[in-house]
Amino acid sequence: MAELLASGGSMEMVRAAFDHGADAVYVGAAGWSRRRAQYEMDDAAIVEAQRYARSAGRILRVAFNTLPASSEVPLFLSRTDALYAAGVRDFILTDPGLMMALKNRHPDTILHASVGCTIINIQDALFYKEAGASQVVAECRMGRTTMRRIKAEAGVGLEVLVHATTCYTLLGRCTMSSYTKYGHRVDASGKDHFPGSPNRGGLCYRICLTGWDQVGEAGEIEASGVELPNRAYFLADDIPYLIDHGVDTIKIQGREYSVPLVSRMVRFYRDLIDACVRDRAGFRMDPWRERMARIVADRDAERREKTAGLIGEGLETT
Amino acid sequence: MCLGSPYCRRVEGNYSEALDLLPGVVSGLHAAGKRAFVATPAAPREADLHHVYRLVDAAAAAGADALEIHNMGVLRIVRTKGRRIPAHMGAYANVYTHLAAVVMRDAGAVRVRPNAEVPLEEMAILAREGGVEVEVLVHGKIPLGVTDRCFLLTESEETDPKCPSACRAVHWLTSRQWALKTVGKGVLSGRDMCLLEHLPRLVADGFRVFRVEGLYETAAYRSEIGAVYREALARAFDGGGYALDDRWADAVRRHAPRGLCNGYLFGTSGQTYVGTVLQDGNPEV
Repeated sequence: MAELLASGGSMEMVRAAFDHGADAVYVGAAGWSRRRAQYEMDDAAIVEAQRYARSAGRILRVAFNTLPASSEVPLFLSRTDALYAAGVRDFILTDPGLMMALKNRHPDTILHASVGCTIINIQDALFYKEAGASQVVAECRMGRTTMRRIKAEAGVGLEVLVHATTCYTLLGRCTMSSYTKYGHRVDASGKDHFPGSPNRGGLCYRICLTGWDQVGEAGEIEASGVELPNRAYFLADDIPYLIDHGVDTIKIQGREYSVPLVSRMVRFYRDLIDACVRDRAGFRMDPWRERMARIVADRDAERREKTAGLIGEGLETT
Repeated sequence: MCLGSPYCRRVEGNYSEALDLLPGVVSGLHAAGKRAFVATPAAPREADLHHVYRLVDAAAAAGADALEIHNMGVLRIVRTKGRRIPAHMGAYANVYTHLAAVVMRDAGAVRVRPNAEVPLEEMAILAREGGVEVEVLVHGKIPLGVTDRCFLLTESEETDPKCPSACRAVHWLTSRQWALKTVGKGVLSGRDMCLLEHLPRLVADGFRVFRVEGLYETAAYRSEIGAVYREALARAFDGGGYALDDRWADAVRRHAPRGLCNGYLFGTSGQTYVGTVLQDGNPEV
């Protein structure tokens, strides 16, 4: 049965996600994941989360899925060595070079290729498999044909995000935020957090979601106040299909949301998956829609507030 | 010269699509003493892979000197086809570390263009430890994002009468103090990357591959900016005194209506201009 993977933006969220039915939870290593520092964890917290997961018979995955500087590779290796020594075996990575380095160093680690790898076709999946990944995250707009091919032919696990955002550009291939504002904050370990770069430090100012004017060569306005589409989605209708086709992991993204909201999302998907598996032939989506709509409305409210804050932060001079 | 567009297969005049034209244009460039590289799609979906297979074969058969590759799946296809043609990793290949460069080198890459966010000192490590040539964007729009849905169309590519001509016109996106350029399936910087005044440092640091980006620019842009950099690089390699010629400054300003930038290479935001010579009180610059 497909694993339900949920976000762990804090120790409280890790516990809540497991308690509401997640089979696995991912957390971000401070300075090394695709979210800003307040939603990441230091090593002590990761080890605590790992203990909690183990005591519940579940899995904790640790994301090191930013793209660091070459000079930071020794930091990456020492940090992952320490977590490995503490019992962590499951990691989420983006850089294929780091994947190979970690796999060579600790062959029994389990590596997942992050959404930042922008895996959009079966050859991408095979490339990251050869780099050491045992599972790949499907790009958010990946179609069912590609999913079926990867499952049938690639020999690698497939992870699908059911709650996430479809960025205007392909996620992992965008530097619009850092083009407008990009800084350096080096922590005590020597890691640069690269604020402003989602690829390098996780903090994106979401400038795509501000109002844009499209202007022609002579300065004429072609369209006013357009947004570059960046939409949060919440898939439910696809769950039976994903289960039927053997998708390995159904992932709920959302470290930046509140713990109560993440708890409701996890419980919703847990109940939905269990109901679907229990009675596949009789399963119908309609009874779930009202509950889903309430969650989506609350999610959208939290997202709007966060987006306004991020755009404002991006406009502040440093 | 890099032929073709990595952004959109439907763009007019795309040599990466018109495979029957490749032999002629490649041999023409070779006869002129130039090298010919061919761009591959930056975001090929499953349905595009059949074309990618044909493109790899056609470019190799035409004698192209390398393929420009942004997608790891395309790199894998080149490798599985026996590396009949070298790979140059493009701007969207997300090369940030020397370890990634080594993986790509082992798959057939001989040259990498680091992601735009990688500053000069990190590029030097990539070149030294990665065992590959490093290509530096010295002038032109910085690629900031790629998607497979055209922003300039209201209907599908097949039915919208604006396709494929919409992206031939210039379209800016402006908001607050920001300006970007949209080419439909790509977002580029509004400002032009310009390293004219920093060429002696690049030469001293050992970089030898410099790119002037001419995608979605006019023929005048390509020829005039290209000529400026050919002359400036010759002067930088001479090793004597290096000063910007007024003609060069005039040309780069004339072709940069949204101003100049070079910030990523010096560790700041991409839209920043780091330097002294070309700022001269112009707030856009």
